[in-house]
Amino acid sequence: MWNEVRGLRDGVDYGTPPRDGEPVSLTVDGTEVTVPAGSSVMLATVQAGRSVPKLCATDSLEAFGSCRVCLVEIEGQRGYPASCTTVVAPGMEVRTQSERLTTLRKGVMELYLSDFPESEIPDGWSELHRTLEEIGLEGHRYGEGHNHFRSPVDESNPYFLFDPAKCIVCSRCVRACEEVQGTFALTIQGRGFESKVAAGQDEPFMESECVSCGACVQACPSHALVEKSLFPGGYERA
Amino acid sequence: MPNPRKPEKETITICAYCGVGCGFKAETIGNEIVRMTPWKDGKSNHGHSCIKGRFSYDYYRHPDRVKTPMIRASIDDPWQEVSWEEAFAHAASEIKRIQAKYGRASVGGVSSSRCTNEEIFLTMKFVRAVLGNNNIDNCARICHSPTQFGLSATVGAGAASQHFDSILQADVIMVVGANPTEGHPVFGSMMKRRIRQGAKLIVIDPRRTETVDSPHCRADVHLALRPGTNVAILNSLAHVIVRENLHAPEFIKSRCEWQEFEHWAELVGSDEYSPENIGAIAGVDPEDIRRAARIYASGPRSTVYYGLGVTEHSQGSTGVMCLGNLALSCGMYGREGVGVNPLRGQGNVQGGSCLGSWPHVLTGYRFVTDDATRSSFEAEWGVELDPEPGLRLPNMFDAALTGHFKGMYIMGEDPVQSDPNQNHIIAALRKMECVIVHDIFLNETSKYAHVLLPGSSSLEKDGTFTNAERRISRVRKVVEPLAGYQDWEVTVKLMNALGYDVQYAHAGEVLDELARLSPAYSGASFELLDRVGSAQWPVDTKAPEGTEVLHMEQFPRANGLGTFMLTGFVPTRERISEQYPLLLTTGRILSQYNVGTQTRRTANSQWHPEDVLEMSRGDMQVRGLHTGDRVTVASRFGATQLKVVESNRVNPGIVYTTFHHAESKANAVTSDLSDWATNCPEYKVTAVEVAKVKPDEKSRARTDTAHPAHREHEAEALVAVEDA
Amino acid sequence: MEPTDEQPNVSGAVMKLELLIAMANQIGDFFSPYPPERATEGLRNHLRTYWDPRMRSALLAHIDAGGEGLSELVVEGARLLRDDAAEKDGYYGPPKR
Repeated sequence: MWNEVRGLRDGVDYGTPPRDGEPVSLTVDGTEVTVPAGSSVMLATVQAGRSVPKLCATDSLEAFGSCRVCLVEIEGQRGYPASCTTVVAPGMEVRTQSERLTTLRKGVMELYLSDFPESEIPDGWSELHRTLEEIGLEGHRYGEGHNHFRSPVDESNPYFLFDPAKCIVCSRCVRACEEVQGTFALTIQGRGFESKVAAGQDEPFMESECVSCGACVQACPSHALVEKSLFPGGYERA
Repeated sequence: MPNPRKPEKETITICAYCGVGCGFKAETIGNEIVRMTPWKDGKSNHGHSCIKGRFSYDYYRHPDRVKTPMIRASIDDPWQEVSWEEAFAHAASEIKRIQAKYGRASVGGVSSSRCTNEEIFLTMKFVRAVLGNNNIDNCARICHSPTQFGLSATVGAGAASQHFDSILQADVIMVVGANPTEGHPVFGSMMKRRIRQGAKLIVIDPRRTETVDSPHCRADVHLALRPGTNVAILNSLAHVIVRENLHAPEFIKSRCEWQEFEHWAELVGSDEYSPENIGAIAGVDPEDIRRAARIYASGPRSTVYYGLGVTEHSQGSTGVMCLGNLALSCGMYGREGVGVNPLRGQGNVQGGSCLGSWPHVLTGYRFVTDDATRSSFEAEWGVELDPEPGLRLPNMFDAALTGHFKGMYIMGEDPVQSDPNQNHIIAALRKMECVIVHDIFLNETSKYAHVLLPGSSSLEKDGTFTNAERRISRVRKVVEPLAGYQDWEVTVKLMNALGYDVQYAHAGEVLDELARLSPAYSGASFELLDRVGSAQWPVDTKAPEGTEVLHMEQFPRANGLGTFMLTGFVPTRERISEQYPLLLTTGRILSQYNVGTQTRRTANSQWHPEDVLEMSRGDMQVRGLHTGDRVTVASRFGATQLKVVESNRVNPGIVYTTFHHAESKANAVTSDLSDWATNCPEYKVTAVEVAKVKPDEKSRARTDTAHPAHREHEAEALVAVEDA
Repeated sequence: MEPTDEQPNVSGAVMKLELLIAMANQIGDFFSPYPPERATEGLRNHLRTYWDPRMRSALLAHIDAGGEGLSELVVEGARLLRDDAAEKDGYYGPPKR
């Protein structure tokens, strides 16, 4: 009833909110781990000390299952379920690494990278960059196709900016504004390739209902939403 | 440079602003703060933040920062920059002179709720041990002093009974005279989370605030009562509970004084407090009163959160007692998800209350008249202490006007902007001979000061804060103090200059002394806080890591039982009249913090560049007003000019404004009435009239910058200044 | 530094009398629902615990001079300040713990 906030810890991201519940035991890559009922498989893997790469999941927000990076293999189950949206069951056997998983994860990440400014990949330190490192990827096989590199940067808010070129539409910002802050200022507008983060009625952040709490900036894994104070001379697109 | 700079170091500290006291990581590159990120392990915020703590920290290096001490013989002279030694010597000699000439009780001090526990404690020690009197007060006087009085009377402790997380277990949330969405945003978000999960919400507030109605979060009952009718409405809720037998007799019999309950039930059960009668007085539908009472009483877990809309009234303390009475009558104490919780406004105002920064109590709310308590202090401090209660802050100003009060040490406060009846305060300050202001910026009060000691922001010092849920947390120094000293070091030097020789190697030693003298803090130390992060008082041998929920077994009163206070409704003497037919009430907005000393020096002014007057359409039409007009708001006490804006948040007959900008002079208008028990000013009820500014009327000097330093305009004499 | 408690250079009341009367009456209003004995004792204790001694003596001086403007309850309660037998813990009591 309250572990989803009280169970959060600095320095570790369980991927999905901690739960209150009866203990459930399962194994992750052969290691036994016990977590409260209702926890996700992703949380169990973190507890077991085995990490699964992720993009759209973070433990302050409910699981979403959109990025398709956190796939795992579960003994007795077909396919490659997303560990964030899969709830633990007693006796489950989870595998976080395999050749097939690596291929799938790399494939998904390359698609993300195909719409991410190439020059911003080296020297980055966002969560996206760390995930790239974890998966072992530096670039993608695709040439230049349709992309969002020329979408205008929203600098209306004096404290943070939004650069859609780096947005991977993971919806963490939208969910943070709903679940953590409760203001519901952001949505994803459009579908498929046209999907984009929109504030208010697709207005600049400053003119929307945004109260500038910074929850979206905190949640963004790719520095698409980022503090202006980290750019001393002002923000320049590469 | 395409990628953002990566911070090198992070220091965990507490936000400088509101009473939620969010934990933050101050991230630095070299000696520069590059961002503040919310700390996931912060037990009051769990990784969330609001615009103020997250982004509005740059005021600390604003060019307006005072970096050098200044003195002047008269307030009409220009300031003269001096060294620290000269400033201390001058202040000390002035204080000595004044006390010799006018008596020991002619000086006093007020401590700041934005300063650490250690600093408040030392200011209190300065006044008691060095100045030798009890004329020490705290800004909680003007906000939550009725909380201390009212809750101490009913349940024995004037502080929140629960921790913030407790709201996640509440089934019914009653918010009275508070607007958490604006004033305590991170807590407001937690509250909304619970309401989206299905908890019911009752709001008692004259305005249809953001708390009443926001996305996916609407109040089940909103009692939009007339300002000044709190006690009437709360008694009426009690009437319904008692008459419909919704109270909890087993709880009352085992945990409370049953006889007092019977007296109280007789009072509130009388016809005087029926919903029909009170609904008419308060402008509320009687059926809504009944619904609210039934929802609250049936719980099963009902919690109350309240704010200045309860306390800043002439029956403020009575209003708080009503809340205590209600919760006791329904058994809503001593477990999770219940209780009565004041939403303390400032980062450390709870600390100020606990540490005896009051004229009538020492630490832990123990009376100065109590010999045993006083002796323990005398033993530790090595001096005899004054056994009589001292002057409260408003009374210090009253006494200045009669020539009895001549010197004052004001730390981190701006009474001219934040206290009511501004003209009265200015007149009082003018009659004083030595006003020492210790602050980070020049402010409205410093215009009347003789000594200016540069202060340090919370980013520049070590110490502890106590937030609204009694949580003691470490404030850690992130950058070196711009003026060279942390605030507590300045107070120590001032004590030394007056001949009281005390030294502390670091702020932790002050906490240790404070812990020896304060039972609820006895287990607190830097070492404990470094180890566990934070601890809610009482922290003692029984609860070495703090206490989350109070009153689980006993109430801290002499007999361990809660009691019921007789809370008769006494209407305020402030009445509307033909000349002043509207009621003005005041409040806070999210982006600005109190008098805006800090937030007006950040980009937050883009959201709220000026205070505006909210008025209902009908009232505007009758006066020929349109949104954007400049209007004069006048009361019996004074007048000011504001921009008017049409709003459907206020009922006809009510107008509303905020108090964040010095230019708005909202407190030139507010009355001199105050709470019967504590003198907490009645900010929330002032009879006013609003009229368009005539074209030939001199418009108040208003600059459009957000940097009000060194502005010279005085309060215009639209009302004769009080003279003794 | 040994400043004297007498104030050789100040005369008159520490606060304007109207303010003291208004404050005292407000306190009286709060205690009026109580039975008379508890009401006067409560009022006496409140003044003793929360009012600066100069404010108390100014009020008593006014009562001696007729007490105009003060409610009966206030006059009765304030007079108890002079009665040492009533010297005991405040009506609300210091909190224990």
